[in-house]
This record gives sequence, structure tokens and C-alpha cells, in this order.
Amino acid sequence: MSATANSTKQPYAYVAEFESASDLYHAAEKVRDAGFRKWDVHTPYPVHGMDHAMGMKKSWLSAIVLGGGLTGFLTAFVLEFFTQVKLYPTVVQNKPTNLFTVPAFFPVMFELTILFSAFATLFGLLIVLLLPRWNHPLFESELFSKFSDDGFILVIESRDPKFRVEKTRELLESAGAKSVELLEA
Amino acid sequence: MAGLKNADDYAKGEKFDGGGLLKWVLLMAGLGAAVLFFVIYLATGGKESSEVFHKGMAYSWLFAVVYFMTLAVGGIFWTLLHNATNSGWGIVVRRLMENLGSVVPFLFVLALPLIFPGTMRNALWEWFDARKDALHHAEEAANHELEEHRHHLQENIESAEKRFAAIEADTQRDLNGATPGETAFLNRRLEDERAKVEKLKATDLSDGALFGELRDKEFKHTNTNLFKKRGYMNPGAWYFRFVMISLALTGVIFTLRTWSLKSDASGDPKYFRWMRRAACGFLPVFAASWTFLVFDWLMALDYTWFSTMWGVYLFAGAALNSMAFLIILLTLLRRAGYLKEVITMEHYHLMGKLLLAFTVFWAYIAFSQFFLIWYANITEETKFYLTRNTAYWNTHAILFLVIGHFFLPFGALLMQGFKKKPTILCGVAVWTLFMHFCDIYWIIIPERGPSLTRHLGDGIQYIVPGNFWTDLLAWVAVAGIFGFFVLRALGNASLFPCRDPRLDESLNVLN
Repeated sequence: MSATANSTKQPYAYVAEFESASDLYHAAEKVRDAGFRKWDVHTPYPVHGMDHAMGMKKSWLSAIVLGGGLTGFLTAFVLEFFTQVKLYPTVVQNKPTNLFTVPAFFPVMFELTILFSAFATLFGLLIVLLLPRWNHPLFESELFSKFSDDGFILVIESRDPKFRVEKTRELLESAGAKSVELLEA
Repeated sequence: MAGLKNADDYAKGEKFDGGGLLKWVLLMAGLGAAVLFFVIYLATGGKESSEVFHKGMAYSWLFAVVYFMTLAVGGIFWTLLHNATNSGWGIVVRRLMENLGSVVPFLFVLALPLIFPGTMRNALWEWFDARKDALHHAEEAANHELEEHRHHLQENIESAEKRFAAIEADTQRDLNGATPGETAFLNRRLEDERAKVEKLKATDLSDGALFGELRDKEFKHTNTNLFKKRGYMNPGAWYFRFVMISLALTGVIFTLRTWSLKSDASGDPKYFRWMRRAACGFLPVFAASWTFLVFDWLMALDYTWFSTMWGVYLFAGAALNSMAFLIILLTLLRRAGYLKEVITMEHYHLMGKLLLAFTVFWAYIAFSQFFLIWYANITEETKFYLTRNTAYWNTHAILFLVIGHFFLPFGALLMQGFKKKPTILCGVAVWTLFMHFCDIYWIIIPERGPSLTRHLGDGIQYIVPGNFWTDLLAWVAVAGIFGFFVLRALGNASLFPCRDPRLDESLNVLN
């Protein structure tokens, strides 16, 4: 029974543990140079320069945030300009009701820029990371769970076109992995 | 990890040759321009036709000194901040900050012509003359009043004596055949009158007390503003503050720079601990010194005006632009072949981020100051902006301060790539320094015309013709002298603190 159940499982990823952040850093450089794309590293703390070792490009998130910020800025301006200048000109202390009323609008423009940027950051990040999700196959791995304690983990997923069961294991071992696990899911 | 730099390899430091010929060219150019400036100043003095222009040159010199003072004071601020926060990233640029800050005492020397009691001082800060006039008037009036008081008193004494004599005669007559009760009453009445006369005679009007009271009353009547501020705005306190501020700022940077240089030689970590502790204590001293300096030099250009954000406004510009200056200085040094290995694009990126942060901070403070005053619309506060919204200055403010000083550099510095490219970052820094020129110009120069031509009534001028060129000349003069002292300080020691315990961290910084 269990044999048939197992037979439906496919290799999901290689999970490899490394001795130190430094080992992981160099392993990441090797995996990067081997041309893998669907892979990631997991460490208990941020490792400076890891993005460079992994060959990561600049994230799109900043563009999303810029878009959010500009939207907030314009929303506030349009809202204030059309209500306070066009629809119902509000005269305060004989101040003008035209484009030069803009200093009075600034606080709202400033706040909405920040609010929309923050929303764009949060929701943009969730979209970029495909979150939220209920579960992840990696949670099945005992080895993987060490990343939140003292493990320096590198994961190469099988959906990567360069993934080969034998060759990838050899690559990880030659890169200095302490232990390598083939995770099936 | 391989490829990391080891601080031990850099323990010898890097010595700068002091700029060689360039240093002396700068000094000669600066001194030449300064001599020309003061020759023009002296030549135009004492003639009625050039009186306004002559006095206007005081504003030129103040403008030039303040411009470079902000850069140097910013150097002190960055040194203090760096030490107080125990930062590791910028050890390799900290010496440049220290060297920039160490120019401050020379700028105080350059400010002496303004401080010295004379035409320049009185043309800039009208409150000296206004206070003198008000006091003179108050003293005359007080003397006059005192004279009247004395006259009055004399009259009072005379009439009291007459009254006493009459009562004395009455008493003599009535005492005959009086009952004991009547005798007691009459005697007491006589004694009371005698006491009244003696009290009047004892009144002392020669004493200074009454005179002081009368003078203050007149002073308040003549110029309430200066009377209320008399504890702060009087020449004694003003000179005292100037001395204390120049000593404090010089002392702060001298102490930190000396320790920093000593740690180069011995590598003793105690200096690094001393610097960190001292910097925390020096920060409030620095903040108070700079705030009161700009109160005394800039806010007091119009003594009737005030802004509680003035100190932080000038500070924001100073911190921003000394960072811009440091970026340019760093790039020029690298062009000349120094600090090639020590400084990486990561340092540029970090400095670019600080430049961005302070661009936003400056805008935040500058706008808040304007916003609060504009919204409240109180006469004594709006004066500053009214002057600066008149004639040419309105265009200047919108074009250079709103768009040029904030929106353009803000947009450019948002780009990560721009901050990692020295050429582009330097371009932004040069632009920022130019905008700072416009900012300081806008702070000082609009006071010139109205202050110097107010007495002409309808002939009041907002711009004094010709003085623009003396502004530039003064700027060139101070720039040359400033450049000479910066290069001289750079040549004094290694270009980076070569034996600081955190040099490793700074050499390999990533962000």
C-alpha cells in the first residue's frame, strides 16, 4: 500500500545543509555559476553579500512602491484640488483658492504618499512572493527545519531545467554540503 | 570569505601630498579676491552716492562666510554623529569629515570684519543702532523726568514745611489750658507732621534706582521689541556668545581630530572609546552652538522677526551640503589616485543614501517653517516670507528652493544605480551645493535692499544694483581660503584612520 503511495511521489527538491555561512556563500556562488534558477538559501540570520553570491537581480518591488507612492500623491492632490478649489472653493483667512493653495494640501499629499507606498510594499511583496499559502512541500523536510536554528540550508527545486538527480547531488556534495536530502512530494 | 580586505594591510595609511601647487593657487586666488573685495569696500565708503552699495558689501561677506561655515560645521556634525553612533561603515571617510570640520576656526577669523564694531556690523544687524538710539532717547527722557521729579519733590517739601510751621504755631496757642487728653492729641499731630517733612526730605532722587526704572519705562515705550529682548540682544551678551560659540565648536573638532590622529600613530583602542563617549556629550554643545550662531548672525538680520525652527533649518542645509562636499572631495581624491582600494561603491551608495535622507529632511524642515507661518498668518511672523515673495525673490524661491533644492535631487537620488556611480552622484552633489548657494543667498540677501534703503521711503530698493558681483567676489575669496585650509588639513595625516579597530568592518562594508 505504502509502496504504491510512494510511487506517485516525485522528487521535489534537494535540501543541502552546510557547515557555516561561509561554506554556504561559496556553494551559492557555485550553484549560481552552474546556471540554476529555481533555488534558494535559508539561514538563521541575514548574510551580507548573499544576494551577490546568488546572482540575484534587483527586485521589482521598488517599482511597485514608486507606483503606489505616486498614486497616493496624485489621489490626495486630485481629491483636495477638486473638492476645495473646483467644486466648493473654501476660503480660509483670505488665502487664494487656486494652485497656490497647494501648501495647505501638502500634509495630506505627504500622508497619502506614505500610506499608499506602505500598502504597495505590503501587498506587492505578498504578490511577488505568491503569499499567503497554506503549506509548502519544504516543511516536510526535517533537515530544512534546521534553518531557523543553526542550519545553513540550500534548496534546489526539481522544476529547474538544469536539475538532474545524480548530477545535482554531485554538485552539492562537491560544493561542500554536510548532508544532502532528496525531498519528494 | 575570500576576497575580504584585511585591515592590517592598510595600517600604514595613505598620505596625501597636500595638493601641492593647487593649494597655493587656491590661497592666492582667495586672498587676491579678498584684497580686491576690501579695496572696493574701502574705496566706496564715505561717499553718499555709493553708500548703499558700500554697506551692501557687508551682506556679501556674511553670505560667503556663512556658506562655507555651513559646510565646515556639517563636517563637525558628521564626525560627531559617526562617533556617537559607533558607526563602522564610514571609518574610511571619517578623516575627511574631521578635516572638513577643522576649518571652522579659520572661518571664525574670516568673520571678524563683520563682528568688529563698525559699519559692517551695524549695516547687517540694525538692532545695534536701533538699541543705541532707543537707549539714548530713553536716557534723555529719563533724565528729563527725573528733573521734573526733583522739582516736584522740592515743591512738596516746601509746602510740607509751611504746613508744619502753621500747625506748630496752632499747637503753641492751643496748648494753653488744654486738658491732658487734648495735649496728647496736639503733640501727636505735631509729631506726625514733623515725620512727614523728614520723610520727604529723606527721599533720594540722586540714586540710580529711580533713573533705571524711568529709563526702562522709556525704553519699553520707544522700542518694545528690543526692550523685551534686552537680556539677549545686547552687545555684551552678543560678543560673549560669539566667543563661547567659536571656542566650543573649535574645541569639539580639535579634541576629536587630535584623538583620531593619535590613534593613527599608536593604534590604542582607548582613543576610539574616548571619541565615542566624548561625541555623545559634544552633540548637545554642538546643537546649542550652531543654533545660537545662526540666531545671532542670520535671524537677527531682522530683529523683529523670529522662527523657532531657524536653528534646525540651517542645520539641515549644513548637514546635507557638507555630505555633498564630502562626496565631491572623495571623488577628486580618487581621481588623483588616492583611496582607490579603500573606498568602494558601497561607500558611495551609503553616502548617497545620507544625501537623499538629508534632501528630504531639509525639505521637510523648510516646508514646515513656511507652512506654519503661512497658515497662522501672524504679522510679526509673515514678514520674513513677505520680503521673500516680493519682486524677483518669489521666482527665486519657487525655482531654486522648491524645485531645484528638493524635487530634482530627490528624484535623482531615489535611483539606486545613481548612488553607486561616482560621476552621477557627484553631479547631484554639485547641483546640491549650487542649490545651497541659492538657499543661503535667499536667506541673507533679500534683507539687504529693504534694510539699507528703508529711510528713502518710496525709493526703497529690493535689489541693490552691483552688489550681486560683490557677492560672487566674496564667495570666491572665502572659497579659495577655505579650499586651502581643507587641503592643508588633508595633507597633515593619513587620509583615513588607518588603525581604528573597526577598519576591517569599514573596508568590507556591504549594504
